[in-house]
Amino acid sequence: MRMDIRMRTWMGGAAAAALLLTVAGCGTNSGGGNSGSNQTASGAENTSSSGKQTGASGDGSKTVKLDETGSSLLYPLFNGQWIPAYQDKHPNVQLSAASTGSGEGISDSMQGLVQIGGSDAYLSDAQMQQGSSMLNIPLAVSAQQVMYNVPEVGKKHLHLDGDVLAKIYMGQITYWDDAAIKSLNPGINLPHQKIVVVRRSDSSGDTFLFTQYLSDNNAQWKSKYGFGTDVSWPAVNGEIGAKGNDGIVTALEKNKYSISYVGISWLNQATQGGLGYAALKNKSGQFVLPTASSIESAAAAMVGKVPDDERISLIDAPGANSYPIINFEYAIVRSHQSDAATAQALKNFLQWAIDPQGGNDTKYLSPVHFQPLPQDLEGKTKAQIDKIEG
Amino acid sequence: MSQRKRGEMHVMSQRRASRWADIGFRGVAAVCSAMPLVVLAAILAVVVAGAMPSIRYMGWRFITDITWNLGNLYGAISVHGGVRAPAGASYGALVFLVGTLASSAIALVIAVPVSVLTAAVLAYQVRGPLQSLLSFLVELLAGIPSVVFGLWGILVLAPWVGSQLGPGIAHLFGWVPFLGGSAGTGLGLLTSGLVLALMITPIITAAVRDLLMQVPRLYREGGIGLGLTSWEVLRHVCLPIVREGLIGAVALGWGRAMGETMAVLMVGGSALNQLPQNLYSPISTMAAVIANQLDSALTDASHMAVHALAELAALLLVLTVVTNLVARLLVHRVGWTAGARGVRV
Repeated sequence: MRMDIRMRTWMGGAAAAALLLTVAGCGTNSGGGNSGSNQTASGAENTSSSGKQTGASGDGSKTVKLDETGSSLLYPLFNGQWIPAYQDKHPNVQLSAASTGSGEGISDSMQGLVQIGGSDAYLSDAQMQQGSSMLNIPLAVSAQQVMYNVPEVGKKHLHLDGDVLAKIYMGQITYWDDAAIKSLNPGINLPHQKIVVVRRSDSSGDTFLFTQYLSDNNAQWKSKYGFGTDVSWPAVNGEIGAKGNDGIVTALEKNKYSISYVGISWLNQATQGGLGYAALKNKSGQFVLPTASSIESAAAAMVGKVPDDERISLIDAPGANSYPIINFEYAIVRSHQSDAATAQALKNFLQWAIDPQGGNDTKYLSPVHFQPLPQDLEGKTKAQIDKIEG
Repeated sequence: MSQRKRGEMHVMSQRRASRWADIGFRGVAAVCSAMPLVVLAAILAVVVAGAMPSIRYMGWRFITDITWNLGNLYGAISVHGGVRAPAGASYGALVFLVGTLASSAIALVIAVPVSVLTAAVLAYQVRGPLQSLLSFLVELLAGIPSVVFGLWGILVLAPWVGSQLGPGIAHLFGWVPFLGGSAGTGLGLLTSGLVLALMITPIITAAVRDLLMQVPRLYREGGIGLGLTSWEVLRHVCLPIVREGLIGAVALGWGRAMGETMAVLMVGGSALNQLPQNLYSPISTMAAVIANQLDSALTDASHMAVHALAELAALLLVLTVVTNLVARLLVHRVGWTAGARGVRV
C-alpha cells in the first residue's frame, strides 16, 4: 500500500514536470500539440489542477474543481484513497488535496480559497461567529494511544488514567514507581526511574485530543492549560518536544523511560519498534485498549449527544467497552460556495464520502487507520450537507 | 558623396542604437540594484505591520517574559487595552530569544576556529588536485539540506551526546556553572549548537579560504623571509590583512545559525515556558517556534497569535541586523587599536 502511494506521488511529480515543460513550451510555440500530454497528466494523477481542461470528458458536463487543504492525518485518506476512487466514477470533478496542517486548511476554507478544509479539530465558537456560516462535517473517526518505553514493562499494557497522565505532564508525578501509577498496576514491577515526558512541539490534532482527555480528567489541567492544537505546556524538567508523530516515535525509541501520545495510524510501526501502549481508563472505570471495536462502540455511544452542528468532543464516551480518546475528523466547509455547479459537486462528493457504501467503506478507511462514522449519525450529517448552496 | 553620407548615417544610427542600449542598461541596472533594498523594505514593512497589534498587546514584556501561551483558543475572546486576544494569551519570547542566542553562540565558538584553520590549510598548505578535492568536499558539506543534518542529529548525534559527551563534560567540568547537572536526553542546547556548528563551518571556511588566497604572496614570503613560522605568518600577517572580511564571514555564519529552522527544531527539544538550566537543557529558537506554532496560530479567531509570530519574525530580523552591525563596529575599533600599535614581529 505504501509503495503504491509512493508510486503515485512519483508519477504525480513526473506528470507535473511534463505539464510545466508543456506550459514552458507554449511560450514560444503557441498552442498546438499539447493536448496529448495534458491528457496524460490528468490521467496519471489527480492533484494537478493547473492543466488546461479543454472540453469535458465523460458525460459532457462542465469540469468542476474541488480543492482540499489541511490535516496531515486526513491527507493520505484524500490523496491515496478517496480521490482516485471518486475520480474514476466522476471524471468531470477535478479533486486535489494538500497536506498543510489543520489550521491552514481551516483558514483557507474560511477565506474561500479551497472548498474543503481538512481538520482534526472542530471550529471554536469564536471562529464560528467570525466565519459566515461555516459547517463542520465529520468524515471519519480517529483515535490515539498513549505509548511508553519502559524496558522492565516491555510490551505489557500498563493501566493509566487521565488524572495520572495530567499529573505526569504537569511534573507532579516524576517517577515510574510513583504510588499513583503503582496502584493502577498491581503486580507489575515498575522501575524507580525518572519519567521522560515527550509531547508534540508542532500544532497537532493529536495534541488537541490528548489535552481534551487531560482536561476532562483533571480540574487543575483544565483551568490552567485547557485544550487545543497547541497548549502552553507546563515546564517539566527534561521534557522533550518532538515534531510530528514520526518525531515522537523516534524520541520514545531513543529515550528509555519516556512516555507520549501517538496517533493510531502509527500503532503498528511503534509497537514493532519495541514500544508498549497503555489500556486507558474510560468513563465506566474499565481499562480499554484501542481496537476497532472499542473505538466504534465509543463513537456509537456518543451519537445521541452530537448537536446539530456536529461540533463535539468524543472524549470519555460512556459504555464499558468504549475507548476514551477518539474524535471526528472534519471537513470544514463554507455553506455558501462561489457558484451552483461547485456547490452541487461538493455536496455530491461529501454525500459519497460519508456513505458506508461509498467513501466510508472500510476498504478506504482501514489502510489509513480510520474507523467509519457511526450509522445513526447520517441524518445529522446529511442535513448539514444540504445547507451547502451556490 | 552619397556614399559618404550613407556611411555617416550608418555611424549615427549605430551611435543612436548604442545610446539606447546604454539607457536600457542603466534602467535595468538601476532596477536590479534597487531590488534587494526594495525587497528588504517590503519584508520589513509587512512583518512590522503584522507585528503591531502584538507590540501593543505585549509591549516590552514580549522580550522579558518567559510565558508563551496562545490562550484558550476554544474560549471567549477578551479585550485588553483595545486589543482583542484569546483569554489567557501571553506572548513572552524570552525563552526563544535565549535559545537562539545561546545555540548560535555555541555554534560560533566551535565553528570559527575550525573554519579558520581549515581555510588556512586549504589556502596555503595543500596544492593541486588535493586542494581541489578538499575544497570540493567542504562546499559539498555546505550543500547538505538542513533536514538531513536534523535527521542525523536526532538519530546519531543526540543519543551520543545524551549518553557519552554530555555526562563526560558534566563529570569533568561539573564545577563550572552551567556545565554541571543532569545531562538529559541529548535533545537540547549542546546538540543544537553542535549541529549548527557543522552547518556553518563550510560557509565560514569557504569565505575565509577565498580571503586568505587574496593575501599578496609577497607579504607571506616577506614574513617567511623574516624567519616566521607558518603559524606566525598566519597570525601576524595574513589574518590582520583579511580581518574585515573575516568578521563578515563570521557574521554570515552567525546569521545562518540564528535563522536555521529545521535542524534545530528536530534536535532542540522544543522547550516551552522554561529557560535552559544547563548546557544540556531543551531549548527552542525563534525560527523553530514560528514553524511549529503557525498552524495553531491560524485557528486563533482574534488573529493575535499570528501577530505575535510576526513580532517574533521581526525580532529575529532585527537581531540579525544588530549582530551584523555590532560585528562590524567591533572590527573597526579593533582595527584602529592594532593600526596605532603597528605590526609587532
